[in-house]
Amino acid sequence: MVGDGTPLPELPALVRDGGHGFDELGASDRWVRAAARWLGPLHDRWFRVSAAGREHVPARGPAILAANHSGGLPWDGAMIWRDLLASPTAPRLVRPIADHFVPSLPFVGTVLARGGVVGGSGGNARALLERGEVLLIFPEGVPGIGKPFRERYRLRPFRVGHVELAIRHRAPIVPTAVIGAEEQMFELFRVRLGRAAAAPYLPVLVPPWPLPVRYHLLYGEPLDLAASHPPEDADDPDVLEAGAERVRAAVAGLIERGLRERRGWFR
Amino acid sequence: MTATVVTGASTPIGEAVIERLLGADAARRVIAVLAPHEPIPRRAAGGERVTWEHADLTRARDIHRLLFGAARRLEADTLVHLALHRSALDEGDRVRALNVSAARELLDAVERHPTIRRFVLRSHAEVYRARAELPAVVDERHPLEFDPRAPQWIRDRVETDLEVCSRMGLTSTVLVVLRCAECLARGTGSQLYDWLGSRVCLTPLGFDPMLDLASVADLAQALTSASSLGRHGVLNVPGADRLPLSALVREAGRAWVPLPGPALGPLYALRTLALGSHFRYRQNRWRFHHGVVLDGRRAREALGYVPSHPLDFAALRRELAAG
Repeated sequence: MVGDGTPLPELPALVRDGGHGFDELGASDRWVRAAARWLGPLHDRWFRVSAAGREHVPARGPAILAANHSGGLPWDGAMIWRDLLASPTAPRLVRPIADHFVPSLPFVGTVLARGGVVGGSGGNARALLERGEVLLIFPEGVPGIGKPFRERYRLRPFRVGHVELAIRHRAPIVPTAVIGAEEQMFELFRVRLGRAAAAPYLPVLVPPWPLPVRYHLLYGEPLDLAASHPPEDADDPDVLEAGAERVRAAVAGLIERGLRERRGWFR
Repeated sequence: MTATVVTGASTPIGEAVIERLLGADAARRVIAVLAPHEPIPRRAAGGERVTWEHADLTRARDIHRLLFGAARRLEADTLVHLALHRSALDEGDRVRALNVSAARELLDAVERHPTIRRFVLRSHAEVYRARAELPAVVDERHPLEFDPRAPQWIRDRVETDLEVCSRMGLTSTVLVVLRCAECLARGTGSQLYDWLGSRVCLTPLGFDPMLDLASVADLAQALTSASSLGRHGVLNVPGADRLPLSALVREAGRAWVPLPGPALGPLYALRTLALGSHFRYRQNRWRFHHGVVLDGRRAREALGYVPSHPLDFAALRRELAAG
């Protein structure tokens, strides 16, 4: 149990050090390990994360985790990040792709970058996949994390960028479902921020700290879109739409299974 | 006998390029171009293989005399253009004449020239737009900084870069544009070097972007390799040091003081007035918020260039401490 303060499993260097302890996108091995220690108690004791199907995440080489997004604040991303970092089978540093306003946020953008989060632009994702890293993408985007409680576990339309990346860079997509995050916080209302602000809105959430709901992470069997599509298909909008629909159906299937199997919000 | 014309020959990068060119080919000569009245560097290498020429590159007549005089006589086949106005504080037509018009005049002359077949421009990473919504790892297709409010220092560099790029494919001259990472060294026009001149370095609170820094040796290596390239190319030249702003300040032995962003412009304007620093915050505002790291794959494939000379931070600290 890493959350008990015991060290992380023996890991090779997590971040490709450019000579000063940081990779080119600002991630730092030291920060990653510190963040993993800090998130340990949340992962192990607060959210009591249980995971199934970690073996579906490739042990090496490029891959894309496509997950449902929810909960007002991105604790779902943090728990997946922490879960795979301490995976007993094949620990990997997942690089979450954040919406492009995130790097503009003072402090938040910098701290997240040190942990491996990157701004959501094609160039950053391309650079990471080409060097064989695992991306975490929420294809629903901001509409997913901000959906009302009454629409919980109903997936928003999936964007297609993750499918394009998967086909172009020959990376498998691992559909991933997060059960529990929908009930962690409730959005009372949102404050629209001006155009000058970096974030689109500020959610007012209750409670201000997430409830100790139990998280269930389900990693599905990888979808190898590259096997059926040559790289040129990454430019075909119909292929991308169909691919995104396939991923969405896989994530929806995992959500359905997770909801069926769980015994309550906190169990 | 072949020769290379190098403008900006007295700059640290110019000197290093000349040294490498001479070292790489025993038969090669160099025509080193200095500004009018500029003395020949004391530790100039090359002996008789280097011909020192004074030319005012803002004057078409001087350019003509240089290229159709000494360069033709020595059968120069390549021109490496490094000359630029170094101070970020100066603006106006005279500065633009050297930064932009000189490159245009040189290109025009090279296209008519009987022996020069290759034009290599040292461009800059600062031509790229740095914003949160854009990739932090920047390849050659990255948007350029076209903000009309950008300082002339940047606008001139973008215009010169595009001037050369726009002629690719329209001329038989091989045109190579190297978009180089910032060279953190005295006398190179480095804004960060001037910034580190102060014991206290102010940065925007809450931001710590990644920087890409190159040494003189690495840039000289890339420019020398490019001067034998056989086809057009726009290539990023990254440095060996990629580190956050705060780590640079630490490595340079300076004090890092984050302050709210809006305060920095006025504070640095005051500093310029009081101490005469060449650093302009307005010019560096975006990259003090969002990282730009060059993707050097294309240069690796085309030139075999891999940055291999990290900066000597111990020497930098000594140099900065000595003022």
